[in-house]
Amino acid sequence: MASVELQGLTKYYNKRRALENLSLDIHDNEFLAVFGPAGAGKTTMLSLIAGIATPNSGTIKIGGREIGGLAPADRNVAMVFESYALYSQFNVYDNMAFPLRSPKFKLPEDKIKERVTHHAKVMRIDHLLERPIQALSNGQRQRTALGRALVRNPDLFLLDEPLSHLSANLRHSMRVELKEMRTQLGTTTIYATHDYREAMSLGDRVAMLNGGHLLQLASPDDVYFRPASIDVAKFFGDPEVNILDAKLKSSGGSKLSLHMLEENIPLPLPPDVVQVLNEKHTSKIQVGVRPPDVRIAREGDKQAFHATIYSFEPLGTRSILTLKAVDGSLVRALVDGHQTFEMDRRTQFRIDPHLLIIFDAESQRFLARSAEFSEEP
Amino acid sequence: MAELLYRKLVKQYRPDLPPALDRLDLKIRDGEFIALLGPSGCGKSTTLRMTAGLESVSDGQIVIGGKVVNNTHPKDRGIGLAFENYALYPPLTVRDNLAFNLRAHRVKQTEIDKRVAEIAKYLHVEELLDLKPAALSSGQKQRVNIGRALIRRPAVLLLDEPLSHLDAALRVKMRTEIKRLHTEQRFTTIMVTHDQLEAMALADRIAVLNDGKLQQFDTPLQVFNHPANEFVAGFLGEPPMNIFAVNADSNRRLVVPGTDFALPVTNYVGRLLGHRTSVRLGVRPWGIRVSHTPSEISVPGTVSVVENLGDETRVGVRYGDMLLMASTVMTRIYKPGLKVHLTFEDEDLNLFDQNTGERLTA
Repeated sequence: MASVELQGLTKYYNKRRALENLSLDIHDNEFLAVFGPAGAGKTTMLSLIAGIATPNSGTIKIGGREIGGLAPADRNVAMVFESYALYSQFNVYDNMAFPLRSPKFKLPEDKIKERVTHHAKVMRIDHLLERPIQALSNGQRQRTALGRALVRNPDLFLLDEPLSHLSANLRHSMRVELKEMRTQLGTTTIYATHDYREAMSLGDRVAMLNGGHLLQLASPDDVYFRPASIDVAKFFGDPEVNILDAKLKSSGGSKLSLHMLEENIPLPLPPDVVQVLNEKHTSKIQVGVRPPDVRIAREGDKQAFHATIYSFEPLGTRSILTLKAVDGSLVRALVDGHQTFEMDRRTQFRIDPHLLIIFDAESQRFLARSAEFSEEP
Repeated sequence: MAELLYRKLVKQYRPDLPPALDRLDLKIRDGEFIALLGPSGCGKSTTLRMTAGLESVSDGQIVIGGKVVNNTHPKDRGIGLAFENYALYPPLTVRDNLAFNLRAHRVKQTEIDKRVAEIAKYLHVEELLDLKPAALSSGQKQRVNIGRALIRRPAVLLLDEPLSHLDAALRVKMRTEIKRLHTEQRFTTIMVTHDQLEAMALADRIAVLNDGKLQQFDTPLQVFNHPANEFVAGFLGEPPMNIFAVNADSNRRLVVPGTDFALPVTNYVGRLLGHRTSVRLGVRPWGIRVSHTPSEISVPGTVSVVENLGDETRVGVRYGDMLLMASTVMTRIYKPGLKVHLTFEDEDLNLFDQNTGERLTA
């Protein structure tokens, strides 16, 4: 168990920047999800910590100790790769015992048995120890690979896209299983993924990387509900957040209303949002609206926007409705799947102003979101 | 555009192997959008390739617009084919890419100009006609690609995994554009895909294939809500349906042996069960209601894992080896260790025969 401090970490491969001036602290026993698209710098970050690659500049501390000069084997870091790399000729027990029999540990067999049995219980594979690897399900293989990494009692666990090669269905169930076991890992963990649901589900915090830069380091709730920028907002949520142009107008006293899509439908902004906007003197804004927050309204609703149904895509439990607003903008809504909608029909929709994510149109950075509205149903 | 018919269509690559496609019967209406959906090796691509004339037919018939085309040359079948990779010619402008196939068929220049203008208008690429592919966005390339297939005025448009190489966000946007295009133009379309969301979102009807056999052919919501069998139930839906073995015990409950899972048998479930004592039970995560208080038909459990995903919360309750997943709107009231009670409405329960996998119906 250990904390990790990265300070000014930069890595170039030839002339290509992979990671630029990355600084972040990971708490002891924290599960940090590192999220970003391909080429974001996730694997580079893990490789530098594991010692597989050397940074051009910057320092890495594990448990307060600088490890820059240490060989990978001496860092006490366990890296689990996408393809588990289990020995198929061995059974589960021998796979898990393997690192402890290596020259570095060379534990006596009774000690090995103690550790393997303990960690097999944690991973819920203690009933499978005699099984050959080929006879295991994917989930059991994952747990064996994790168990093998755990027996070494590493200070730090590095997981590089461990689920990305699985089918969608399996990825769901393995992610949940991993989350279920997470608290029992008892080890500081850094988990790289390009799947935002994995990052939100598993991470105590999420580090969002793109193009070698850290865009945001925050709790899963914050990256989703209070994303640092429009760029970050677009990476979380499926379908993608709607980004709309908007104007602010004073509506008497200190009140502000927001206008978008249709000039004559003012959205009164909550006081806490007004306060932030007044403090920052921002006039040009853009607004983020998550598709589940777009609600179909009753016809004739005076507060609702007008639209035609540009596209209706049923996905089963829910459907994606693409609405063409009066100004021509396309707005995506995620609606209950039991209802069907006819293409090109007129409809109306509402957006609760408490749910708006407000960005500065120039800097594209986060300005405000109301805290009044809890995300509870 | 035309109607397309498969009559007992068979593809047998080797006599010692089961057929890649086994007696496929489908009737596709004029203007309909059909998705052929299934895992790799299910026979969907084989069907598409046979339709296009890239593979021979082992047995059965392919009928396009009332005419059997089994032995018709590919170019005379009236098929427009758009592959996954765009395969646009980089040195040619959009206009020349669109015109390419017509020139190859020695269509007159005045006719070519007319058709290019027409198709460009359909696909909203009029302003792009003088650009080269490198200057286009992925979405624009996709439209030009489809335009190239459509310009010969095919009877049937074939789309082979049209979105699979795009990143998630773009895929959702392009899906909408294809949906829009089909609504406006209503060309008879067959799309091959392994992505169930793509099939659900776009198709008028979905043909689900597995091991060369048709499993179900129906509208997206029918296939989703009333799957014909366990394969279809498990293949469609994200998060996936919970499917697990249960036994009927002497107290008229469905139980998972060795666990606390005991679901009282309602009249409806009783009718489905008949005399069976073991079945497989299927319920979608959104079909389970999680509550703090018990009811006469609820199943007790303890929350084992919780996922907050922004737009929904998923709650896992463990029964032995089985982790039952329930989905709710975003909430923070559930924590691991919390005692809960799960309610399953009749309409959300699927019972599958444990031997055949068929869904039981009353």
